[in-house]
Formats: sequence, C-alpha cells, structure tokens
Amino acid sequence: MSGAGAGVRMADALLQTLGGRTVLLHVPSPAVEGDAGEQVGLGVPSFQDVELGPVVFRRVLAGSGDKTAAARYELLVSVSAVQRIVGSLAYDSAEVLFQNVAGVLVDADVLRVVSVTRAEAFGEVYLYRVGLIGPDAAAL
Amino acid sequence: MSFEFEDVKDTFYLALRDRLAAGAPSLQVLVRGVLRPAVVVAENELPGSAVDGIAPLNCFCLHWTSVRLDRGLSVLGCVIRYATDGSAGAAGMDRGRALSAMDAALVSAVSTAPQNAAQVTVSEAAAGAAIETTTGQRVFWSDVALGDAVLRGERVERMATVEVYCYV
Repeated sequence: MSGAGAGVRMADALLQTLGGRTVLLHVPSPAVEGDAGEQVGLGVPSFQDVELGPVVFRRVLAGSGDKTAAARYELLVSVSAVQRIVGSLAYDSAEVLFQNVAGVLVDADVLRVVSVTRAEAFGEVYLYRVGLIGPDAAAL
Repeated sequence: MSFEFEDVKDTFYLALRDRLAAGAPSLQVLVRGVLRPAVVVAENELPGSAVDGIAPLNCFCLHWTSVRLDRGLSVLGCVIRYATDGSAGAAGMDRGRALSAMDAALVSAVSTAPQNAAQVTVSEAAAGAAIETTTGQRVFWSDVALGDAVLRGERVERMATVEVYCYV
C-alpha cells in the first residue's frame, strides 16, 4: 500500500477498529498581541474544548508499587483528525497544536502532554503518538 | 516604598525582549497564535509550552532560579536555555551556525551598555490591557555566561546564566 493517503486511511480504519474513542483537547484561546501583561504572567487565558477522534488511549507504564511514579499514558491519534483541528484553529502544525494544548480530557481526568512523535510510512505521516502524564503526577 | 521581586524579573524580561526585537528582529516565536520576539519566561507560560522535547526552538527561555539578599542588594539568578535544529533548507547542517547567531544576539542584548533599565511595575488595567509604570529604581544585570553546547539528537542546545540585581 503506497498510494497517497493510503497510510492515513489504513491508520484511521485501525484506530476505529481498536476502540475509536474520542477525547477533548483543552486548547487555550489565542494570545492578545502586544499585551505585556500576558507575557509577564498577568493574563487569564480562556480555553475551549475541542473533540479529537478517532484515537486509541492506553496506559504504557503500569503502577509498580512506587507511589512516586506518575502514570504514563499514550494516545494514538489519527492524522486526519489532527489536521482538521490544525486547520480550523489556524495552528502552524500538529506539533505547535500539541505544544499549546493545556491538557487532554479523558473521561473525567485531565492529562498533560509530555511528548509528541510522528509515525511515517513512505514519507507520509499516518499517526501521531502523544505521550501523556496522569493526574496523580500533580498531587505528588 | 515596597519591594517586589516580580518587578525585577519583569523589568529584565521586558528589556531583553525589546533589545532582541531591535537587534535580531528575525528571531520570533509563535505563542498561542501570536508572533513575539523570541524570548519567553517559562514560569509565565502555560505549563504545556515548557515541556521538554516540544519546547519552542529558536527561542530564549528564561528560568528564574535563585534569589539571595546581600547587604540590601537583591540578586536574582536567571538561566536562559535555547536550542535550534538549524534550517530545513540546509537539512539542519547549519544548526551550529544558527546557535552561534543566537549566542551573538543574546550577548549583544545583555551586554550592550547600559546594562541596566528603569524598574517597571506591570499591572492589569480594567479594560484588560497592561500598564507599565516606573518605580524610580533601576535594575542592573551582569554579563551573560555561556555554558557548553550540548548536542541532543538533531538539536543543539545551550544554557546561559545572568545575575540580575536591584537594591531593596
């Protein structure tokens, strides 16, 4: 399979088959241009929750009894879903979008993004692998 | 007269931002959809934007670390981290040159006389816009000390330090 978009369609089909759930991205509204207050930490940003799917959500590090270890999770995300959001919110790229996301709402938990990697085949990105850290990390 | 460490930090940031904008206007960073001079204070941004691995490239990230008082002089330690992976056109082979350009921009912004600025207090107005008022004091800073460059994957990073002073 090497046609244009074939990898993306295959990944979408697999993500749907393996769960195909949706999560919410907690995205901050754009900054105010030239506002020094925001730059020095006086701003109060507003947020919008944007639906992202299909995704597969899974835990990648099981608890081992070490109470200081934060749970880590992984989100496998469809490129087509990411591109829809990148386009509608006018971000430069998927990396910039995830860099700006304040959290990912999964069921009742807000998880933080710690890494983003791309999976490619035949020079085409077909999947984003988003590393997340659990809410228990904030309570440590 | 009350003393606010925050005013010292804000004054140094604003001075560095304005000097970088004047001396290296091509260095810019996109923060929440808005282009700014390529300097951010990590503690003033959303937590996600300071995450290692996806932190902004080609941008000076200020981290306020130490604070000490020495016979009426407050000394604030500032660590400035920056990294670049060069340009896409050169397939990253120019990342060393890009880092040198950032070194030069930082040294010029910090070490060009005068190494001081009028201390300002930034406050929010009712309409939401920020107001900058001077306090009558001055904020001083040292020369910048550049640490070793570290090659991490396709990016090359450096950590620099500056001490910022103000009389209490």
